[in-house]
Amino acid sequence: MAFLVGALMVTIQDASTYATFEMASKKTPESVTVVGQLDLKEPITFNSSTSMLRFTAVDKDGERSIVYYNQPKPTDFERSEEITLTGLSSGDTAFFAQNILMKCPSKYADEAQFSSK
Amino acid sequence: MWALAGRFFTYLAFTGALGTAFFYGLNWLRPGACSGADELGRPRPAHEPFLRAGRGAFALHSIGVLGVLTVLLTAILSHWFEFDYVWRHSSRDLPLEYVFSALWEGQEGSFIIWIFWHAALGWFLVRGAKTWEHGTMTVVGLVQLVLTSMILGIYVFGVKVGSSPFVLIRELPENLGLPWTTIKDYMIRIPAFRDGQGLNPLLQNYWMVIHPPTLFLGFAATLLPFAYAVAGWIERRPLEWVTPALPWAYFGVGVLGTGVLMGGAWAYEALSFGGFWAWDPVENASLVPWITLVAAAHLMFIVKKKKTSGGLTAIMVMLSFLLVLYSTFLTRSGVLGDSSVHSFVDLGLNGQLMLLLGLFSVGSLILLLVRWRSLPRSSADEAFSSREFWLVIGSLVLLISAVQISFSTSIPVLNKLIGPEGLVPILGEAMAPPTDVFRHYHSIQIPVAIVISLFMAMVPFLRWDSTPNALLKRILPSLIASLVLGGLAAWGLKFDQPMYTVLLITGMFSALSNLDLWLRYQGGGWRSSGQALAHLGFAFILLGALISNGKKQAISQNPVFLHKDFPANEHILIPLGDTVSMHPYWVEWTGERVEGHFQLFDVNFYGTAEDQSPGKKLFSLAPYIQMNPRMGNVREPSTKHYWDRDVYTYVSFADMRSPEEKASGWTEEMDATMGRGEEVFVFEEYMMRCDSIIVKSAQMIEETGDLATLDMAAKLTLKHMDGRKETIEVPYGVRGNEATPGEAEFVN
Repeated sequence: MAFLVGALMVTIQDASTYATFEMASKKTPESVTVVGQLDLKEPITFNSSTSMLRFTAVDKDGERSIVYYNQPKPTDFERSEEITLTGLSSGDTAFFAQNILMKCPSKYADEAQFSSK
Repeated sequence: MWALAGRFFTYLAFTGALGTAFFYGLNWLRPGACSGADELGRPRPAHEPFLRAGRGAFALHSIGVLGVLTVLLTAILSHWFEFDYVWRHSSRDLPLEYVFSALWEGQEGSFIIWIFWHAALGWFLVRGAKTWEHGTMTVVGLVQLVLTSMILGIYVFGVKVGSSPFVLIRELPENLGLPWTTIKDYMIRIPAFRDGQGLNPLLQNYWMVIHPPTLFLGFAATLLPFAYAVAGWIERRPLEWVTPALPWAYFGVGVLGTGVLMGGAWAYEALSFGGFWAWDPVENASLVPWITLVAAAHLMFIVKKKKTSGGLTAIMVMLSFLLVLYSTFLTRSGVLGDSSVHSFVDLGLNGQLMLLLGLFSVGSLILLLVRWRSLPRSSADEAFSSREFWLVIGSLVLLISAVQISFSTSIPVLNKLIGPEGLVPILGEAMAPPTDVFRHYHSIQIPVAIVISLFMAMVPFLRWDSTPNALLKRILPSLIASLVLGGLAAWGLKFDQPMYTVLLITGMFSALSNLDLWLRYQGGGWRSSGQALAHLGFAFILLGALISNGKKQAISQNPVFLHKDFPANEHILIPLGDTVSMHPYWVEWTGERVEGHFQLFDVNFYGTAEDQSPGKKLFSLAPYIQMNPRMGNVREPSTKHYWDRDVYTYVSFADMRSPEEKASGWTEEMDATMGRGEEVFVFEEYMMRCDSIIVKSAQMIEETGDLATLDMAAKLTLKHMDGRKETIEVPYGVRGNEATPGEAEFVN
């Protein structure tokens, strides 16, 4: 029983919280999860020689940040209505995403969500 | 017509399930007959008409389920895209073998396959459960009633009950009343309906033909122990139910385990995340019931042999079935939307799913509480050296493992319940899933695996009641052998985490000791091999998972990185015809070719030569991209298997333009916003400067003073890196409210 409670405590402590870019920059080098939107007004570029995607995201507080992601652009990236970024902030210049999950608006596109991994 | 038939079979299945539950239940619980057996365990004479009615109703239910399956399969095979389900999940060019994948790709279809397995397994109870038939079949009937309600697709007082796979496109709520729905031949007239949406390209893999039915058979198998447990506890026979339920528990362990492993194989072969297990919520949801079922199945032996631990066993059995229901809820309710890569779309059935889950959970809990006193009191504590003592401890360890995985997987659910915007706001801020899932799960699951492998190595040598010390000496040879072998292997493998080394040794210990047990003490015959070989096999799975994960490394290291805490880049660009070093190989990309829907990229692997010149060709791989205009392109890996290692490749990025397009010299278009005097770096080659904007002509409408036409041009200078300069003029016009772009010209 004590083990069970212990394991549960460790697990709860390990759960992270949803952060904004500002909170993320304070928590560096700890990894956080930021939920936000893609800023379509800013360019989305992919550098194939470093395999680095660069885009701008807006968090729930409306703060903008440049995001780097060392994977190619996920399918239907521009169509996402919400993106969940897991990663860490460099301090104040950019956010480095290790993982991106997208929420797509279309009922049928939802089933194609697999490919974002 | 066929849609009507489908509906009819659905209602038949539903009514049949209702009848099964009703008549079996009536017979079971009729006054003075609390049980299928009397006090001495002899079968009670059943009330024949009720028994026949119950069996008849279950037969009708089964016919209904088969009918539903047949109609849906026929519809997919015949490409009747008028069925919304067929239109959404299949297409004309779908290869025959994937018809089944299309069948269970959607929620409705996967419910049907689950219901089908329940119905099939139900017949084993009708034929073989004897005195337990009434009780277990009542439970089966109730479960089937609830599950078939999920595919009813009717509205009761405005509330949607279930979602039917037989809804026609014109009958969809969002299409009702639209003008085209009245056109008779709308399927032909509207181009979008001439072909289906197609099966998700990721699911077009042979594993997706066999993985879901196996997994669902495993899920369905948890129903039988559950039905026995409920029947047993209601009949105040809280121990006796275990004996007939035990084979089904092990059947479930085997099938569900196989299903989970198949999922892993599919993930490794067809998905490009580079592993067989990602601790994804959907994977976890199928693993957790297996863990509790393993615990339950082991505990059932204690009940059978020692007549103790009846309470814990019933809890574990019921938990396994409830966790299967919970996992369906997790994957289907859409609650995992932002934490899982593969969850179903929300069909608006959350209320119904929660009701289903709540009903069975609360029912089981009440049953356990009310009947807890009917458990026989155990006279003495179990001895420390007894098998039953350690089996109980082992099952509790498995419970810890299950609790951690469930808890972390349920974070989105917890947010919905107690998060800041949840039903009961307790938490100040929403919890997010752990950012490093591997570290998070491994911190608990690896210690659990170590303890479990130790138990697997030693507990089979223990005896019921108590074990003489002399017997314990039997494990010494395998202990010493595993310490030596494990130590050597650990020295060779050089794990960077000490926990991995410990698990390597304990895993080896459980493999060797079970082999020893079978060969030296159980005679080595096939008939007695079950227990030892099952443990041996599981030990191998642990070892295999450990070594493949612990020694996984990206050979395609890209030296460019951005931040010291950012993981090194694991993708490397290979220009066409170039050779790139990937230690210990040299890799050359020779070309690409198109085969049907696949664009293949041929890469050759050469051995390293000491003088840095490429050595001889070792093997070729062809990772490919599955092109799917509707669902997006999907990258598929290609793997070279060696006995001791795999070389795993996939294309993470490629220029997907057609060869003609690439040869034409046109590059992809790009946007730039600039004012006069401003400069933008374009196409990674030119500095583009806006020199001036010239108004060429303007006309006014005299009466209103509004602008009628306006012709302008932007003068841009393109400066090349080597100093060359070119001037272009981009015309732009406005006619009333419309813009008329023009083609750019070089001016010199």
